[in-house]
Amino acid sequence: MKIVIVGAGEVGSHLAKLLSSEGQDVILVDSDESKLNDFEMYNLMTYTGKPTSFASLKEAGAGKCDLFIAVTPYETRNLLACSIAKNLGAKSAVARIDNYEYMKEPARQFFINMGVDDVIYPEYLAAQEMMTALKRTWVRCWFDLLNGQLVVVGVKLREKAKLVGLKLRELNTQSSYMHISAIKRNHETIIPGGDDMICVNDIVYIATTNEYIPKVLEMTGKEEVGIKKVLIMGGSRIAEQLVRLAGGKYKFKIIESDLERCHRLSEKLPDCNIVHGDGRDMDLLHEEGLSDYEAFVALTGSSETNILGCLSAKEFGVRKTIAEVENIQFISEAEGLNIGTVINKKLLASSRIFQIMLDRDSSNSKCLALADADVVELVAKEGSRITRSEVMNLHLSHDMTIAGLLRDGKGILVKGNTLIQPGDHVVVFCLAGAMNKVEKLFK
Amino acid sequence: MFRKKSNLNFPAILRMLGWLLMIEAMFMLAPLVVGVIYEEIETLKSILYSVLITATSGAIMAFGLVPKNMDMQKRDGLLLVPVVWAAFSFFGALPFLFTGTIDNMAGAFMEAMSGFTTTGLSVITDVEILPKSILFWRAVMHWVGGMGIILFSLAVLPMLNYHGGMQLFNAEVTGITHDKLRPRVSSTAKSLWMVYIVLSIIMAILLWAGPMNLFDALCHTMSALSTGGFSTKNSSIAWWDSTYVTVTVTIFMFLGGMNFALLYKAARGDFRSLWHNGTFKWYCCVVLISTTLVAAYVVFNKLYGFEIGKTIVDALFTCVSVITSTGLLVADIETWGEFTILIMCILMFFGACAGSTAGAAKIDRLELMMKNIANEFYRVLHPNSIVNVHINRKVVPQEVVSKAIVFLGTYMCIIVVSAMALVVIGIPMKEAFFSSLSALGNIGIGIGSAANGCYASYPAVAKWLLSIVMLIGRLELFTFLVLFTRDFWHK
Repeated sequence: MKIVIVGAGEVGSHLAKLLSSEGQDVILVDSDESKLNDFEMYNLMTYTGKPTSFASLKEAGAGKCDLFIAVTPYETRNLLACSIAKNLGAKSAVARIDNYEYMKEPARQFFINMGVDDVIYPEYLAAQEMMTALKRTWVRCWFDLLNGQLVVVGVKLREKAKLVGLKLRELNTQSSYMHISAIKRNHETIIPGGDDMICVNDIVYIATTNEYIPKVLEMTGKEEVGIKKVLIMGGSRIAEQLVRLAGGKYKFKIIESDLERCHRLSEKLPDCNIVHGDGRDMDLLHEEGLSDYEAFVALTGSSETNILGCLSAKEFGVRKTIAEVENIQFISEAEGLNIGTVINKKLLASSRIFQIMLDRDSSNSKCLALADADVVELVAKEGSRITRSEVMNLHLSHDMTIAGLLRDGKGILVKGNTLIQPGDHVVVFCLAGAMNKVEKLFK
Repeated sequence: MFRKKSNLNFPAILRMLGWLLMIEAMFMLAPLVVGVIYEEIETLKSILYSVLITATSGAIMAFGLVPKNMDMQKRDGLLLVPVVWAAFSFFGALPFLFTGTIDNMAGAFMEAMSGFTTTGLSVITDVEILPKSILFWRAVMHWVGGMGIILFSLAVLPMLNYHGGMQLFNAEVTGITHDKLRPRVSSTAKSLWMVYIVLSIIMAILLWAGPMNLFDALCHTMSALSTGGFSTKNSSIAWWDSTYVTVTVTIFMFLGGMNFALLYKAARGDFRSLWHNGTFKWYCCVVLISTTLVAAYVVFNKLYGFEIGKTIVDALFTCVSVITSTGLLVADIETWGEFTILIMCILMFFGACAGSTAGAAKIDRLELMMKNIANEFYRVLHPNSIVNVHINRKVVPQEVVSKAIVFLGTYMCIIVVSAMALVVIGIPMKEAFFSSLSALGNIGIGIGSAANGCYASYPAVAKWLLSIVMLIGRLELFTFLVLFTRDFWHK
């Protein structure tokens, strides 16, 4: 797939590297040559030119691309660039926007007519993600797969979890309603086999169906915390979006260090308490009654501050912490440090792009990426190897596991004796690099 | 998540090397076929042994050790590229040794290195008595080395598209900046090789249509387009004494000295970027000026023949041959006077365009240096003014300019050091400088005892030295020299 990305900022750079390592033909365009110099070592092409110039977009090959992605910091430029690219002949165009209004009708239809097929709004995606996290406080992550028929939750296990100390083989016999698909242990992701034991501090990825969620909750020794009050550190655009999206469901208090910003926030978010001060100041947090809050959300511009803020909030006894971590290399560390949920705009934006790609191109089957494992959704073809016998007799290699499938619109978990039928939509977990093997099985 | 990045990934390097050696073995099959056609039984056996040894060594390296991961960092790429070139030359020398064409290792290694680096200097005094298959192997080495061993493997090994292919591409491809023609490095490599192969086919047909037979046409195609310089005759192109051959070879040497990215664009109908390319204009100007000077000097001093037309054609041929670092000859340049040799030295220093098959310091850097010198003079008068170096109507960042100037400085240092070493070994001074220049620029001509590019009389030490100098020149100094810095091996 030929992809043109305009804007070598954070999201653009991350996407370009990711898509290039996925084997796509990537052309990265930016008007600032120095930003493009860092890409000399990557397997992609760069082009220096104005994102809104017909000539330079044409030269960069926007007219012949399958997907055009505009992620410069300015939404007007993004929208215009998409419109131009579409006019030049791009098959599909995606723009990053900065305004919730553009996601709704009638603006949406207006922009589709202009040539902008999809919009990404990273701040909104982040707010959505945080809403999920606040609703399901006991999970690290929550994914709805196969049209919501299959749920994958990531849970960090403590001593009191019933799962701890069990081998997967024992588990399979007594609980058929859940499938442990992957385990993240000390920065490493493993696809567990029957003899693998579940340990304390593992993050386990459990596939299940919606009706069994309470049972999973019980097995993992977690309890749902009802959240009423949320303290936000850092009044960024994401914070604003989060408060808007919650729409009065929670009581918010925002601590912001910039006085000017505080005044603007109080005007924009009248129902919200705004406090001027440094969110790292223990006395201030104490004064504002941090221990009365059920959730703490750190959204300042600095990842380090956010991580530390969350850690001190944990000490105050806050049940749920969410940190925005923009440095990708910190994410793994942050997860190890007992921070409830980590939010990263870049990853959210790029997984959204993946979804868009998935909709456009049926040959690309990846649906989400965990740290170093991929989750793939595939359709079993007539006569493919996967349909020939029961799963346990297929002798699958150790770097993949089949979590569940969708048959006749209903989600089913896969067990050893399941026979996959042609036409089933199947969810497979595999380690990075095993994708080819998985695809072969289904062909 | 946290992998140590500073350590070299030797198993991966070894596996890559193994794969590449198997590719070399595949190329060795070409002279084998020639041997079968011309029924050279003895030579055939020797070459077959070479193929087997190379392929087996390659297979052992590729499959003997299973690397934990194939990730290659910058360092791995920088180490792999010189090692690959050295290993190619080592195994490429086997056919010479086994057939007894060259009886010593130093000479055989130098011949192979000279082949792969497209230098074209030789240790064989009489090439006309050699078996056809050996002559063909010399030409094939040129052809592969001209476009680049790594570049070829990038086009054919799909795994390089992910694992460090970019590092290798950047380490091998010549020039100040690296043009990428297509988004993925493998497609870029394929496009470049496509241009190369198409040009080769056209040239071979044109030569064959003239007085050359098919074998000579093929050999000279591979040797001229890759700007190599090995010939199948002792007197090189002069043997045919045909204006048609001279002109055809001149044209294709000239094309070989052009930036292949530009050729690719031109082939796709984009002639504008060719006409507007400043470096291309410089290249044409330098060729025309040097030809005029040489022809005028030779005519006025009545040094060569009497026919002005032939003098001009031959002068053009020689200038193009030297500037593109080919080193094919139509006349003995030493008889053309000291001034001609001086012009040749200047041409040898700068060479043709970056991104071509040519060697030497590249005309791009000459252009950059000249423009920078002009700017510096301007700054003396107007210290506060901002003046930038413009190339193709774009401002060149100061780091790139300084990189190019450091390159030129280092280049001269290496010439001096290598010439000094040669003088110590016992080569006359003028000849030592000329030989160093010729080896470092991958040209392959010589004067004095190395006249016509035949270095057979040099002692073994000098041969090893020149082999290394050729490699340094082909890999544009830094890729090779960085291996000798402390920082490369330390964390």
